[in-house]
Amino acid sequence: MEEVKIGIYVCHCGLNIADIVDVEEVTKYATTLPAVVVSRNYKFMCSDPGQNMIKEDIKELGLNRVVVASCSPLMHEPTFRRTIQEAGVNPYLFEMANIREHCSWITEDHKAATEKAKALVSAAVRRVYYHQPLEIKEVPVNPNTLIIGGGIAGIQAALEIADSEHKVYLVERDPSIGGHMIQFDKTFPTLDCSACILTPKMTSVGMHPYIELMTYSEVEEISGFVGSFKARIRKKARYVDEDKCNGCGVCVTKCPWKANSEFDLGLSERKAIYTPFAQAVPNIPVIDTEHCAYFLKEKCRACEKFCELGAIDFEQVDQIVEVEVGNIIVTTGYDSFDPTPITQYGYGKFDNVYTGLEFERICNAVGPTSGKIVLKDGSEPKSVAILHCVGSRDENYHEYCSRVCCMYALKYSHLIKERTDAEVYQMYIDMRCFGKGYEEFYKRLSEEGVNFIRGKVAEVTDRAINEDEQGKLIVCGEDTLLCKTIRVPVDMVILATALEPRSDAAEVAKLLTITQSADGFFLERHPKLDPVATMTDGVFIAGCCQGPKDIPDAVAQASAAATRVLALISKGRVELEAATAVIDEEKCSGCRICNLLCPYSAISFIEDEKVSRINEALCKGCGTCVAACPSAAITHRQFTMEEITAEIEGVLV
Amino acid sequence: MNLEDIIKETKTYYCLECGKCTSLCPVSRYNSNFSPRFMLERALMGFGDELIHDRELFSCLACYACSNLCPSDVDYPVFTQKVRNLASGEGEHGDCAHSGILFSLMRLMSRSDIRQKRLDWLDGCHTSEKSEVLYFAGCAPYFEPVFEDIEVSPVNIARNSIKVLNALGIEPMVLPNERCCGHDLLWTGDVETFKKLAQFNAQMIKESGAKKIVFSCPEGYRTFKIDYPQYVELDCELMHITELLAQNLSSLSFRAKRSNPEVKRVTYHDPCRLGRHLGIYEPPREIIRAIPEIKLTEMEHSGDESICCGTSAWTNCSSYSKQIRVERLHEAKATGAEALVTACPKCQIHFKCAMVDKGTEKCTNIEMKVMDIVTLVADALGDKSSE
Repeated sequence: MEEVKIGIYVCHCGLNIADIVDVEEVTKYATTLPAVVVSRNYKFMCSDPGQNMIKEDIKELGLNRVVVASCSPLMHEPTFRRTIQEAGVNPYLFEMANIREHCSWITEDHKAATEKAKALVSAAVRRVYYHQPLEIKEVPVNPNTLIIGGGIAGIQAALEIADSEHKVYLVERDPSIGGHMIQFDKTFPTLDCSACILTPKMTSVGMHPYIELMTYSEVEEISGFVGSFKARIRKKARYVDEDKCNGCGVCVTKCPWKANSEFDLGLSERKAIYTPFAQAVPNIPVIDTEHCAYFLKEKCRACEKFCELGAIDFEQVDQIVEVEVGNIIVTTGYDSFDPTPITQYGYGKFDNVYTGLEFERICNAVGPTSGKIVLKDGSEPKSVAILHCVGSRDENYHEYCSRVCCMYALKYSHLIKERTDAEVYQMYIDMRCFGKGYEEFYKRLSEEGVNFIRGKVAEVTDRAINEDEQGKLIVCGEDTLLCKTIRVPVDMVILATALEPRSDAAEVAKLLTITQSADGFFLERHPKLDPVATMTDGVFIAGCCQGPKDIPDAVAQASAAATRVLALISKGRVELEAATAVIDEEKCSGCRICNLLCPYSAISFIEDEKVSRINEALCKGCGTCVAACPSAAITHRQFTMEEITAEIEGVLV
Repeated sequence: MNLEDIIKETKTYYCLECGKCTSLCPVSRYNSNFSPRFMLERALMGFGDELIHDRELFSCLACYACSNLCPSDVDYPVFTQKVRNLASGEGEHGDCAHSGILFSLMRLMSRSDIRQKRLDWLDGCHTSEKSEVLYFAGCAPYFEPVFEDIEVSPVNIARNSIKVLNALGIEPMVLPNERCCGHDLLWTGDVETFKKLAQFNAQMIKESGAKKIVFSCPEGYRTFKIDYPQYVELDCELMHITELLAQNLSSLSFRAKRSNPEVKRVTYHDPCRLGRHLGIYEPPREIIRAIPEIKLTEMEHSGDESICCGTSAWTNCSSYSKQIRVERLHEAKATGAEALVTACPKCQIHFKCAMVDKGTEKCTNIEMKVMDIVTLVADALGDKSSE
């Protein structure tokens, strides 16, 4: 082995580090460490002059190992690896000591921070000493893309990628694409008709030569890695032959059996054979076996009799389709919060208490009331209260702000004012009108005579205490600006319900080996600088599955995810992590503990040889198997026993 | 502890000023001078002095209706408790009810040299000198003479508690020199005296060798469970008698003929300390449902939405607290029940008081039988002396 020559570079990070840590002292101390040839400090190591300093030292002094003491490796490890690679040193002969997040940002004690910085530098030096050059492998990228979820985000991403003539598989669980957006009536703040702006895109998806649309389908299994994923998709039986059906709708008209419409949230009925709404894409009905008389009692078959094309197929079964793709975009959207647990608001108890999404359907021209804003008894409300933050900004339910409720509440106020003579009361905590044209919309609604009352509602009751309250729903709260508790009698109450993660988000996360943040939404790689990537290469997220957002943001994020995918497709190949684990097959006892523990399903058991083997393309180098192996047969290429022992020694000396 | 620390400890910083607390508060509903939100806001905005000297500081019932549903999980009752301690340091105190006699008794009990004669009520009960189970009688013997005129007998609750324990085969210890738990002192700001009482009780219980303490008073239970650990060490299992009974329902044999056959339908009032403070809603209901020929009907507000009995810590009792009680009694009457069952002697005292001293507000049609749950059980077990 050639003589080890280590260079140390201590970063000031402006004042972020230098304000607390004595960088001069750390630099001086580093020269005393074994195999250290040079030790320097600089204001910003990540800047060009900083990087050039390292490159020059490699050239002049023949350095073959480098330690940078600066920020978290999550930020700049790739930067410095590239730097030394450009100077001809293997990028894995590098180590970072985090003296910002782990030292200067967590204390005001200069002495303690400096001592800890020295210990971390000492550990990094002793560790890097044992680093071995690792070879970075490249694999080709399959140009096909899988998009899971056919709401506005999935539609947008699919069109962006397909328009560049790359194949997209768009998988949607429901019988039609469109997601929540197609359920909306108008969109804030411009009041565009939601269907009018969305259906052209839906039609494009349906007809696009580069999009293979799979509705009424679910992804069941994902295997592989960035560049070459395999997905197993279950196409649920529609009992209607997609090739024969022309969407004429006779079957639906003739079907005598009814069930609650999911699309109208149970506010109207649909047939047992149905398309969820008129502009569905694809315009092919499905049979709901739980309500179809043929499936329940083996009789009826009216749809079959009237279908001239012979498209009804009661014998159809679920199909399993396997597709190969290079990248995956997850656009699974959100669930609307169910306010039933907040018993004080009387949802489910009082007839005229609605959720936000239910009110969208009521406003919609093709909704249960044909767009008339009416009470359960068919009469027009004389007063409506809209309760903000139902399930949002509430420790008992969701701590986060759902971002869109203030705005949709304003939109409802406008629609109520436009279509009825009702008084409208908005009971809010804070009006959050943050987007383009949003504050202006708030102003407009103030001009329209909406009553804004600052206070969170405590209770909705039907117990009247005076004549005016008889037969009304009484909304009780405090007008915090007037410092007065109030009772507002109204005819209708709309709960501005929160957006929450899909109930099966955890399963989807597991399927894709991505993570959820504390609030349950999918976690992005970096909250600011990498908002659509995930910790799993080749899997991207967009829209409300990442967090509550409005349509413009969901669309922007979808386009961003598409761009990331197109960049990978365009490059055509991808580098794989080289710091992986490896199994010494001589030592492996074939116990398979590692097979089960690997979060990336990278380890498989070779039956013939009775040993386990790691697929390096899948391994992310997390080290779980290394720690678990009872035979100590697994080594991590950059966390060998030698390296770990040396690192611990470095901290302790 | 200064105001800053109190704000931190009770998460007041997170207050959204949404006013949900004030609109849920039973006091604010009648007393427009009292608003939990406004109290918190004054603390946050640097008007601590004004807050400490506001007489409404002592109006909070610590019923937890506010914090139970607070979107920011601010602990307003504990905020109040701690600010009252600051206020009492500046000579502020609430208005004492019953001429302050109850507070005098509590403070007397904090003296080391007193010899109490507090076990005269034990006739007909089987207790033992040494047992793993201790029954904490609380202030019942002292309440007895004070509330004679409104026909409430707290020692009857204590006696019935021991009788139902006997029915389970338990002969508990009862401490002859037991002290007040200190609940009311703690909640009116007198932490010093509270600490003394806690230390006396902890010491005596340790010496007694008890492993389990059973309470029939939810205030004592709460105080031992939540407050004592902050001041004294006590290594005992703590239980409310309703929890113990609910666990052992199968060991109780109810007789078909109860001594109160006219009571067929009852409604249950959740005491705040048992309900929202400690989350015990189901055990009392399980017990009532198990008694033959008794039907349980719930009030409009029950469980965690239950309304407080209107007064706490014998302080700031006023026409407003009377209105709260009347409202609650109207709810109870509306169920059609013949009796209002509760599990707290003080709730019983407050409801009875409202019936006797009607005050001025809409006090018609509020008379009904009020009884403790252990009395209901004892009646069904069939002991003649229970009434």
